[in-house]
Amino acid sequence: MNSKADVMHGIRPAAKGAVFRDMIIIAAFFVALIPVLAMHRVTDFMIFCIFALSFDLLYGFMGRLSFGQVLYLGTGVYASTLFSLHVSTNPLLAMLAGVLGAAIVAAALGLIVVKLNEAPFALTNLAFNQIGFFLIGSTFQKITHGEDGISSGVEPWGFMDFSNKYFAFCFVLFFLLFTFYMLTRLTRSPFGIIIRSIKENELRVKFLGYDTFSYKWITFTISGALAGLAGTLYTLYVQFVSPTFIHPLNNVEPIFAVLIGGAGNLYGAIAGGVLFMVMRDSLSTHVPQWEWILGGLLLIIVFWLRQGLAGFVRILAGAVSNRLSLRRAAGGGSQ
Amino acid sequence: MIESAIYGLTIGAILYFVSIGLSITFGTMRIINFAHGMVYALGVYFFITFLPRVGGNFVISALLAIAAAIPVGYAIERFVIRRLYGESLDYAIIATYALLLIGTDAIKWIWGTVPQQVTEPIGISFRFFGGGFPLYRVVISLSALVLFLGLNLFFRKTVIGRIVIAALDDSEGVQCLGLDVNKYFSIVFVLGSCLAVLGGILYAPISAADPYMGHDILLIAFAVVIVGGMGNLTGTFISALALGLVIAITGRYWSEAADTMVFAVMAIVLIYKSYKA
Repeated sequence: MNSKADVMHGIRPAAKGAVFRDMIIIAAFFVALIPVLAMHRVTDFMIFCIFALSFDLLYGFMGRLSFGQVLYLGTGVYASTLFSLHVSTNPLLAMLAGVLGAAIVAAALGLIVVKLNEAPFALTNLAFNQIGFFLIGSTFQKITHGEDGISSGVEPWGFMDFSNKYFAFCFVLFFLLFTFYMLTRLTRSPFGIIIRSIKENELRVKFLGYDTFSYKWITFTISGALAGLAGTLYTLYVQFVSPTFIHPLNNVEPIFAVLIGGAGNLYGAIAGGVLFMVMRDSLSTHVPQWEWILGGLLLIIVFWLRQGLAGFVRILAGAVSNRLSLRRAAGGGSQ
Repeated sequence: MIESAIYGLTIGAILYFVSIGLSITFGTMRIINFAHGMVYALGVYFFITFLPRVGGNFVISALLAIAAAIPVGYAIERFVIRRLYGESLDYAIIATYALLLIGTDAIKWIWGTVPQQVTEPIGISFRFFGGGFPLYRVVISLSALVLFLGLNLFFRKTVIGRIVIAALDDSEGVQCLGLDVNKYFSIVFVLGSCLAVLGGILYAPISAADPYMGHDILLIAFAVVIVGGMGNLTGTFISALALGLVIAITGRYWSEAADTMVFAVMAIVLIYKSYKA
């Protein structure tokens, strides 16, 4: 056990202080975005970033590509909306209900899907998402109003008023930082190291005596709960929900965001999330059919830009620092 | 009830046409080829385009559409799947999904988003126990049976077929024998694409052609592959017909739930398999 602890300690890359520094940078980044874009859009982007982070945990860190993450977003959206309409209008309780709802669904379905990997995992998730979409859009039409959508019943509670855009921004930013902090700690913990090892070679992790099933199941549930968190924020912020929040065709969005940012990198997921949203906003207003651009970019990433933006920045930084050190060496030689 | 059964066998037959290609790529390369849905949809739109130009002849137009789909299928295999094969399965899945997105938008661009109807080539209907059913559906069901027998002959008797069957079992083992497995895969891949197009064309008169048809059929075809066992060709045939019946019988009582019921069956099969293992 002692040697294992040593190994873990050696792998842990950054100290606690670095996490807080990064959180300040992220907060500053989003605040700096406000003058460039409108504040309500930045808030919207941040919610999507939380969703992208939840997907990054599953795909980037554990190596399980899911085509059904939208199911948990939608569960969060509908669980919190229905809770606010039928039980309590308190926003915090509605959030709790949404996150719990998504976590419960993820935990239950996780028992089945986590045993699979690769293509069966991807498509079984998609199939469950299809079932969820059908249940929301058709079966429970009486409660959810199907395609027409429903308004949430959340009412302001104390100072928590989501029609105040400053408050909404700060509230969402808080949860984005919270998610980032939690995932940073989680992925750097011994638990996170096992998850990343499962991505590399699950069989070896099993040989080491770890029960990989429970690690995968817990990760899947956390990922689902975080997607649900993003969903509840949509409920609070948008205040009107429709089955588009659970539509299976939207699954390409988190995949794209995480890939373009660089899978397995939390900054990458945030940068990719923002980039995707900017792209969607600007393209969909100019080009009526823009999904082919998304497809084309995905192909470029897959063939030539595997590490996404994060890798691109790393290569660029490496080239610049190389150039600098060369210049310094040349300068030192001439003196 | 007999009406539903015939309808179910028709749907099952079409699912079998579409699933064969998926099952083979899945069994050999372990990737789920989303682009299969693109070829399927594209083939149907080719067919719709050719149909008025050849004087409404269903067979000639279908053959032309299949011929037009061959280069598309080949290009997908050669330039996308083979380049990514052996590297990362996830990237191959994402790349084929990207192709599906591009294909769907291309269809919307060229042919528009409005669903297009195709008239049935055989206008004859039978009267049977008080209910009527078109001869066309019987023909489709029978053609699936012919295809099943034909493919069995192909995979048992021909060299290409035998190599592919062996590779489904153990791809590396076949490569160790000095055979270029990729070459045979591309042949079978193109064959699978052609069958998908044929399935799409046969299905078009029953439903309609719309840009998202590839997305819709793909999920169900994938459920067929999962239920039948990946790369198991006989299993694919049986599960295609069984799930076709599930769709038809569910659709009779609760039409919106028809597709969803397929996934429910798939989930049950998966649970059963995972607890048996």
